[in-house]
Amino acid sequence: MGAGGNIGEASENPVEINVTAMVDVIFCLCIFFMCSFHFKQLEGKIDTWLPKDRGVFQGQPEKVILEEIRVFMKWDAAGNRTIRKVGNRGEVDTDEALMNIIIQMTNDYKKAGKSEFPVLIDATPDVPWQEVIHVMDMCKKEKLERIEFAAPFEMMNKGASKN
Amino acid sequence: MAKRKGPAGSEYSNPNLIPMIDIMFLLLLFFMLGADMGQRELEEVVLPKASSMKEDKENKEKDKNRLTINVYHRYEVKCQAYAKNQVCRDDAHWRTGIKGKDYSEPEKLGGYLKKEADATRGLDPKNPQVSELKVMIRADQSAPYGLAQRAMNTCAKAGIYKVEVGAARPADDKKKHG
Repeated sequence: MGAGGNIGEASENPVEINVTAMVDVIFCLCIFFMCSFHFKQLEGKIDTWLPKDRGVFQGQPEKVILEEIRVFMKWDAAGNRTIRKVGNRGEVDTDEALMNIIIQMTNDYKKAGKSEFPVLIDATPDVPWQEVIHVMDMCKKEKLERIEFAAPFEMMNKGASKN
Repeated sequence: MAKRKGPAGSEYSNPNLIPMIDIMFLLLLFFMLGADMGQRELEEVVLPKASSMKEDKENKEKDKNRLTINVYHRYEVKCQAYAKNQVCRDDAHWRTGIKGKDYSEPEKLGGYLKKEADATRGLDPKNPQVSELKVMIRADQSAPYGLAQRAMNTCAKAGIYKVEVGAARPADDKKKHG
């Protein structure tokens, strides 16, 4: 800071402010906010309404005439992959094969005049969440809105002991 | 650019800092307003991809009748599997949080959910035990299913049936939808 030495300069710029410190501070603040800033990912949701009237393993199950659409998922640590089965059928390798079985089963329900046929996902706790969502996603694409999750074994036992 | 003669006859140049300061102020304002300094409802989670997901409009409206359960990898833990986008199966590496608080213990989570659900319980006369509270489960794609399952079971026990799961739109779908 200091007044100009030349004649006439003082009247043009009577007060000189040293902005260097301020620029430094603003730079620091800018860097801080730039580092902490993150752009929001486009997020969405998939509705998975839980059974309203039953809770966890309560009440009597309906009489099953048709085979329930139950997708079993199990993690194969040795093969580093998820094993998928529908009902008591054999292992399904591809997404297409899995959906073909599910669609075939839903058609059987429709033929029997049933409008509600939940797809039950029965996965072991070590299955990757992404794999479960992938199966849900494929079902939603086929307009299968009712997706349910099987309760873990220990919870079912607790429910059974209460009943 | 103002020029001034120095004592030895050399020329000093005084750069005009005002436009730069203006720009930096604008940048500062932008980042300050964009930064999320409030209570964090949403933790940093890599959501699983699903093209059938619906855009979450309620989140923008900040629906009071909704809770978000985040299942996320602990930030402070360095995990090789998680860094490689593989599934981390170490339960100690994961945290279940609501509004920045840790609810990894199922009892603690159950107690909190029950308390929250009680406010909206009994609205349906046919099912007085159920709550109209909505719960969004935002679990990381690298999380094992067991963690999300635990959250869902706790919701079921608390009488919450409106459960949604968080998903992100795949990159190739973003181009289609714009």
